[in-house]
Amino acid sequence: MTPSLQRTLWISRVTFLEAVRQRFFAFLMVLGAAMVLSSVSFRAFDFGHGELKFIADFGFGGMFLFGSVLSVVMTAQLFFSEIDNKTALTLLAKPLSRSEFLLGKFFGAWAVLGVFVVALSGLLGVVMWAREQELVAMAEQAGKVPVTFSASGMVQFALLQWLRLGVVIAIVLTVSALARTFLFAVVVGSLAVVAGQLQWIAQDAVLKPTGSVLYGAFLWLSTRLLPNLQQFNIGDALVLGATGVPAEAVAEVALSGLAYMAAYLFVGTLVFRRREI
Amino acid sequence: MSSAISVRRLTKDFQIGIRGLKLRAVDDLSLEIPRGQVYGLLGPNGCGKSTTLKVVLGLVSATAGEISILGHPSATAEARSRTGFLPEAPYFHKFLSGRELVTYCARLSGVRPSELAAAVEDALGLAAMTDAADRPIGTYSKGMLQRIGFAQAVVHDPELVILDEPTAGVDPVGSAAIGRMIHAMRDKGKTVVLCSHLLGQVEQVCDRVAIMDRGKLVLEGRVEDVLARRDRHVMTIEAMTPAAREAAEAALAAHGARVTSVTHPRRSLEDLFRELVTGSRDA
Repeated sequence: MTPSLQRTLWISRVTFLEAVRQRFFAFLMVLGAAMVLSSVSFRAFDFGHGELKFIADFGFGGMFLFGSVLSVVMTAQLFFSEIDNKTALTLLAKPLSRSEFLLGKFFGAWAVLGVFVVALSGLLGVVMWAREQELVAMAEQAGKVPVTFSASGMVQFALLQWLRLGVVIAIVLTVSALARTFLFAVVVGSLAVVAGQLQWIAQDAVLKPTGSVLYGAFLWLSTRLLPNLQQFNIGDALVLGATGVPAEAVAEVALSGLAYMAAYLFVGTLVFRRREI
Repeated sequence: MSSAISVRRLTKDFQIGIRGLKLRAVDDLSLEIPRGQVYGLLGPNGCGKSTTLKVVLGLVSATAGEISILGHPSATAEARSRTGFLPEAPYFHKFLSGRELVTYCARLSGVRPSELAAAVEDALGLAAMTDAADRPIGTYSKGMLQRIGFAQAVVHDPELVILDEPTAGVDPVGSAAIGRMIHAMRDKGKTVVLCSHLLGQVEQVCDRVAIMDRGKLVLEGRVEDVLARRDRHVMTIEAMTPAAREAAEAALAAHGARVTSVTHPRRSLEDLFRELVTGSRDA
């Protein structure tokens, strides 16, 4: 292992320890778990969809909501605690480069979100599997074809969610490298998540002819600068679909996420190099 | 052999507000800090001491000027790997123990795994923190924070140690302990740069001093040279009677000398305090 990688991993390790010891992480983890578990109680309000789909959507929603909040707030907090408390002064006076510091922060925060995604998707998988057993027995008695749950689809979904949250963390770190205050980083990071969720609107609009060059350029830029976070929402098809999702489609989504993550971290490193601590 | 730190014509401006007004923190500063000495950088608050150190360490960029550390351009990993730094009012991750912090800093400073345990123990021993090393940093007193900060700064056996206000907020006993650590570093042949406005301590531990004011260097030299008044002499006399004093003054007057003041010698309040108080609870 190269010295540079070792230093990056040490920063990640301490960042991870700092994050998991925060009450904020535990609080959101408990809230997310409570939402997944409560989906069984609310299944009567399934709006005409299948029960498993309702449970899955409820769980996916909780994972996305609390995962996004954790990615934005926790990442900004982990970055600004080093700057505001001046621990960054001590660390960056050592033979540690700015890019190693920023990447260490990224991997530490991403590892925390990994724990979050594994715990919640594991819990959701158990809840869905248990309900599936009951529903299959009932469907067989009624002579119907039951909707089944795919454990491998759940694993793919969990990996894609982790990737999506990684993209959010990379965006927040880039904003934090530029921002002067924690609040600014949180507000802009949250807006980026919302814009990423709505990016498909710009993608649709860019395909339609427009009379204004300026508007056209704005749409084109929006579709390039912001990742389409909606493309990660293929949980239904992965977990409940009878045919699943083609591996090429999953790989395309994953590669797009990795590319955005790398691009944002590259920009964040360039910005952070010029920052005066 | 090159200087420990060489600063040539350093200027640092900060932009203030959206109109970009300039605040000149350091103004055309040149310094040569020789190796193997304890060097004091003095000045009032806001005179540019800490900014100078931050530029030297590459934490902020210089507007103009050249800086090298141990012959290497500052802000390079090579220069920083041979430098230890204790920032002003250090704050460390409260959830780590002292030993974990020093280990973490040792690994970031490039200490090899095979040498890690010995390096950490040596640094903790030098800072007199071995007994408290396994306690969380959140439970440390101010003096202990400074000492664990000192340990993390020297754990990789650097040639140059930069201490920014190491005794700020520390009681005289803790302050004396830090003074001893500085002497120990000098005895090992290290260069120590001490940034402080506690003049008494600087006078006791430093070989050379530089005084800054409003971003400029106003005085630089060996401590005894800058403090000595060659046209005045002090004699300490025991059992002097009025008659003896008159006779002495007359004898001096016969040679053209004149007694300008006669006072009783005083010990410093710090000496008295250290004499009465043998140690604090965390010492």
